[in-house]
Formats: sequence, C-alpha cells, structure tokens
Amino acid sequence: MTDPKEKTEKAESGKSEKIGVYICYCGGNISDHVDVEKVRDEAEKMPGVAVARTNSFMCSDPGQELIIEDLKNGLIDRVVVASCAPSLHETTFRGAIARAGANPYIYDHANIREHVSWVLHGEKATFKAEKLVGAAVGKASLLQELDPIRVDARKHATVIGGGIAGLKAAKVLAERGIDVVLVEKSPYLGGNAARLDTIAPFGEKSAALISELAEDVLARDNITVMTHSKVIGFEGYVGNFDLTVQTTFADAADHEQAAGHYIPTVGVITESATEHIIETGAVILATGFKSYQPRHGEYGFGENSAVVTLPEFIKQMSEVDPSKTELEIGSRKIRSIAMIHCVGSRQIPGIHEEDEDGYLNEYCSRTCCSAILHAANQVKEIFPDTNVYDFYRDIRTYGRGQEELYDQAANNRVVFLRYSAEDSPVVTANDDGSDAPLKVTVKDGLTFNEEVEVAVDLVVLATGMEAASIPELVSMMKLPVGTDKFLQEIHPKLAPVEMAVSGVFLAGTAQAPMTIAEACNGAAAAAVKTASLLSKGHVELDPYVAEVDQNLCQGGGACIEACLADGALEMQDVKTAEGTVKKARVVPALCLGCGACAAVCPSRAIDLKGWSLKQYEAMVDMIVAED
Amino acid sequence: MASQIKEEKILILATESCAYPGADSVGQAHSGYPSNTYILRVRAPVMFPEEFYLDCFRKGISGIIIMSCGEECPYEGAYHALAQRIDRVYQMMKARDLDIKRLRLTAICTVCNRAFLKEVNLMNDIVQELGPPVVKEVAQEEG
Repeated sequence: MTDPKEKTEKAESGKSEKIGVYICYCGGNISDHVDVEKVRDEAEKMPGVAVARTNSFMCSDPGQELIIEDLKNGLIDRVVVASCAPSLHETTFRGAIARAGANPYIYDHANIREHVSWVLHGEKATFKAEKLVGAAVGKASLLQELDPIRVDARKHATVIGGGIAGLKAAKVLAERGIDVVLVEKSPYLGGNAARLDTIAPFGEKSAALISELAEDVLARDNITVMTHSKVIGFEGYVGNFDLTVQTTFADAADHEQAAGHYIPTVGVITESATEHIIETGAVILATGFKSYQPRHGEYGFGENSAVVTLPEFIKQMSEVDPSKTELEIGSRKIRSIAMIHCVGSRQIPGIHEEDEDGYLNEYCSRTCCSAILHAANQVKEIFPDTNVYDFYRDIRTYGRGQEELYDQAANNRVVFLRYSAEDSPVVTANDDGSDAPLKVTVKDGLTFNEEVEVAVDLVVLATGMEAASIPELVSMMKLPVGTDKFLQEIHPKLAPVEMAVSGVFLAGTAQAPMTIAEACNGAAAAAVKTASLLSKGHVELDPYVAEVDQNLCQGGGACIEACLADGALEMQDVKTAEGTVKKARVVPALCLGCGACAAVCPSRAIDLKGWSLKQYEAMVDMIVAED
Repeated sequence: MASQIKEEKILILATESCAYPGADSVGQAHSGYPSNTYILRVRAPVMFPEEFYLDCFRKGISGIIIMSCGEECPYEGAYHALAQRIDRVYQMMKARDLDIKRLRLTAICTVCNRAFLKEVNLMNDIVQELGPPVVKEVAQEEG
C-alpha cells in the first residue's frame, strides 16, 4: 500500500514515519466480531506506520509493555491504540507512554469496541475498524509533543454559598490546609437545611447538624466567613482568580446607598457597602436551590390558607405542642391531612401550566417523597388519631433508610392514593357539612380509578426544588447551565463536580435536586478536588489550547471576535522587518480549548493544539481513502 | 488484499462531553446501527469552518451529523455560534446544489441512545436515497 517514494514524501511533509498501532482483542469482546489480525495487517501498510501489534488485553501489563518497549527501542514515536472507549483507558496508555520516557500526548485512540464490535458483526465490522484505525493513524501522524501548561496557584479557595454544602466544602478544604473565604449573601449560615426541623430519613435535628458544622467553620483560623456579601466581580484563571465581594450592612434594599443617606421610614445608613478583592485559586459554587412556589390556585394554594407547602408545614409542625392529644396548627384542630406529591416537579408539556417563559420543571426533585413521608410519619407517631392521606404519582424513596420510611408510613396507617399526571387531585372547598374546610377529589389508581373524595383540614403540597436564581454569577463567570436551569457539570460520571470553567467546582443543590447527605458528599468531593488542584502550589492545565502561527497571522482580529473566553486571545505588537504589526496572542491559562477561533481565521494561522483542523482533515482523508 | 466495501459514508462529529460518550452508551447497549458511520471525537464542533464541511463532501463523505451538546454545551456561547455557522454552510450547500439534508446539527446527550439511533438511521436513509455527493463549484463566494 505504501511505497518507499511515498514514505519519503511523507517524511518531508513533517509527518511521523514511526507510528505504532496496538490493537486489542479485548478478550473476545472485539475479536469475536472484528478480524483483529486483518486490521493489524492493514494497519501495517498504512502511511507512516512502523509497527502494528495485537494483544488479548492491550490495557494489561504485557499489553502496555509492548508500547513501552517499542518506544524505548526507538521503533516508534507516535502511538495509536485501538481498543475500548477512550474514556476507559486513555489515561492508562498516556501513563504507559510517560513511563517509557516519551511525551504522553503523542497518542491517539481508535474506539473499535463500543463503536464497532458491540454494534456490528462480520466483514463490515472489520472494515469499519480498519477505517477508524486509519483515521487515528492520520491524526497521529500530525500529533506534536505537548507540555501541560504550568501556572502558579494560590492555596486559597472561595466557597460561594453558606448552606450545608458550602459549610461542608469550607470545612473539608480547611482540613486540607487550604485557606478559605466563605461568601454568604444572607446574614446567616445554614441555608435551606436550616429551615428544616428533623432530617429524613433518620430524623437528626437540623439545628444540631448546622450548628456543629457552622461552629467548626467559624472556629477555624484559615476560614474567613463573609455574610451579607455577594460576589460582584470575577476575573483571572484557575489558580489565580480575583473575586470582588461586596459586603453590605443594611437591608438588601438599602445596600446601594452611601453612609449618611436617609432611607424613608427607616433612618440614616451608618455604613456603606464595602468591596474587597479576594485573591483565590479556585471557586466552589454552593449556591443552593429555592423551593418551588406553587402558582395561585394550584391545588388551591393561595386561595385557602389551609393549603400549605411542605416547608411551611415543617415549620408549623416544629411549633406544635406534642403533649396535646390532637394536632393543632394555629388554633385549628387538624384531624385530617392530605399530602400531595410531585408539586412543581415532573411537569409534563400539555398537562401542566408553563411559567411565563414557557418553562416546565420536567425533572424529579428526588427528595420530596422521602421528606413528605417523613412528615407523615411524624404526624402519625405524635398524633395517631390524625388521618393522613398521601396522594402520589410514584414513590421514589431511593437510598439508604428511605424505603423504610415508606414501609413505616404504611405501618403508621397512612392511606395511599395513586394519581396520574392527567388526573391530578382537585382541591375544592368542602360542602359536606363537616368542619373540614377542604375536599380533595382524585381518581385512585390503586382502586381501579375509582373516584375518591376526602374531606381534610389541611393540604400539604410536596413542593420540589428549583435552581437558585443566580443570573449575575452565571453571566459573570460564564457558567454552563442545564436545561433544568441547574448548574451543569462537565460530565455526570467522569467529572461530576467539575465545571467547564477550569478551577470552578460544584457543591450541593446548585447542581441538581439532592438530599442533604448527597449535598454533603458532593461538597466533600468538590473540596477534595479543589485541594488536590491547589495543594502543589501550581496547576497543570490541559495543553489543548489555541496556538497562533505568528508567521501566518495577519492581525485581522477575527479570532478575538469569535473567542468565547474573555481575555484568552489578545492583540500584541510584534516588530518585523516591515515595522511593528499587530498579531494575535493566546493566553493559555484562559483559553477554553473550544477552537471557536480556528474556524474563523482566514489565513488558518490559529489552531487547537492536539485537536487541530489539519488532524481532522487527515482523519477524513483516511476514512474516504480507497485502498 | 484490503477490504473494500462501497458505502455512502456518514461522518459524525461527536462532542467529547456529550455525544461521544452517548455513542459509547449505544455500544454498551449493543444496539446495532449502520456500519457506514464514522464517529470522530471533537471538543466542540464550533472549531470547524464552513469550508471543512464542503471539503468533506468534496472528498466523498455523503452525510455529516454534528452531534453537539446543544444548549448544555460546556463552552458558553459555542452552540449559538455553531448554529449560526451551520446556517451559513446550508447557504453554501444550496449554492453548490448540495442537498442540505446531508448535513444535520443535533444535540445528543451521554445517555441519548434512542436519539442517537434515530439520527443515524435517518441520515442513513437520506444518503442511501441521495447517493454520493456532487459539489457544483461556484466561482466566487459571497460575503
């Protein structure tokens, strides 16, 4: 396939002539459907390929040793591994290459398991595997050695949000020797968790949990807590962020006013808002959630004071005198309660009413089933004579100790009625002559859609979680937001607390609805990730950033206009034989590596290191190549 | 002797954060789909200029599916810029008598198996019907 003349031409073009191709059988996972030896034979004939080898498990020590030996012996200077998904073993093979003393970025990966042998069989599978190996060889021939970008990093992190996730993150960071500033917009620490009484499923007192954490945080020398504060400026890059934090002393409505200003009906402000620049290395966003507020009239909410949300009910229950024989809220005796699940969650287009932006909360809020069953159990265990009717669509009591809550509710004689989204319960004024002010009507799926009417004294709505409204932070920090409006991690499994903005992490319900335990887990993960990022005093950034060929750059500035990261590209004066000219320059630490610049340069002077346009063109060439 | 299969090739540009692991997920489910599909992992498809797509058609790629992260793109603003570029590519394709159905911009998540299969099968139907691309070159590009 490749004659010596062609090889000579390739060598002159600057492409590698010493590519090693390593094809995995994956113990039959690949070789049962792909003729691996045939792929090897074809790979060996590809331009630039010096050796092609196979192994039962390329990721095993003997498999990796093949690569290491060939590199050490100088047989190869580029590596292609054809095996499973790169997400599984990319780091394995980069590590093997590094152990051989070579640059780990001289490697590309062909996925011939998930994309070939697991979806195809026979001749077509082998043909496709050959083509994908060819594409990887095409790319590898143009790969350059890359060095991670190293920048100094401050051993300092800022946590935004003083709820339970923020407190937990601050504590874990401080334990690992990282200085922390905790910024909280309200005067209090504890966030939404502080509004609970006891916590499902095990019933710990929220007050005790928050107090313990907050006391720990407040007692630490290396944590500075700034309440009544918000982040109003964000600059810099991973390891070196400058945050502007504004601290106010008056009510939120007054904080823009200067000291000495008279606020009608309030008085004269004595202190102005102050601004501080916090020099920090990383940011953890623990901005929390807001509880869904039902629309006026949704299940009677707002029309009748006997319809309350679960957070309101939790507060009411915390004030109840448990020594009484009957449940009393305010001065009303509550003999019968309806609890309705999925209020503001799992909304369905065409069934539920959209908000003013045409938006629906289509996700499950995950915590409300357990929370409302926990509340139901509390009622039944303190006031067994109070009837509790639980109207649910599905019960989602996942996780340790939560299913037990459901069993416990059944044992406590909570009455369950199942509704479908199309036939949600209807709450109306009760006209049966009893004291109960409300009536809930539902077609009960548990009794073959029999219409059931229940007279109740109170309706409790299991309201879900919504993303906290933080548009200023989102815009200022360029934070990715999911379709559910919660902050978006890079990958739910591979990078679950990392954001695309390097050095910015996620903790707790800023990311998604979750329980307190899950929020604390996420916060601890974010804190440990942050500590491991900063603890060395420098950070190594992905080398996949844009690169300008100064010889080709005409200084037109199209790249700067297209750039998605503020400050990642800038114009600089360059002295040439013809005088001083403008040319683009990349600030590697700020570059996101998206390549938006590469698409717009008329002279193709800018490209993405490690993922260049030329490499993609070479891949396409190999895919369309006739043998 | 090398394998030789004549096929209408479909190039899939799949984002490393969403669609590429999405295609992995289809593989993990062992859900079969046409073999003429070549998935390339990309950081963000916003990196490809208009000409890249036209060149692919010139080289003989019959269909291209851009499997982006859509609105969940980790690079703020990239999807919007990409969508605008693809609109321009459509204009350029029309000027060259290329059926714009040959290029499709979609959003595929890490677990969007059904959507992935639907898009791939749809594009396969299109390229089987249209056959190999013929690019009618135009003298001067507007704007």
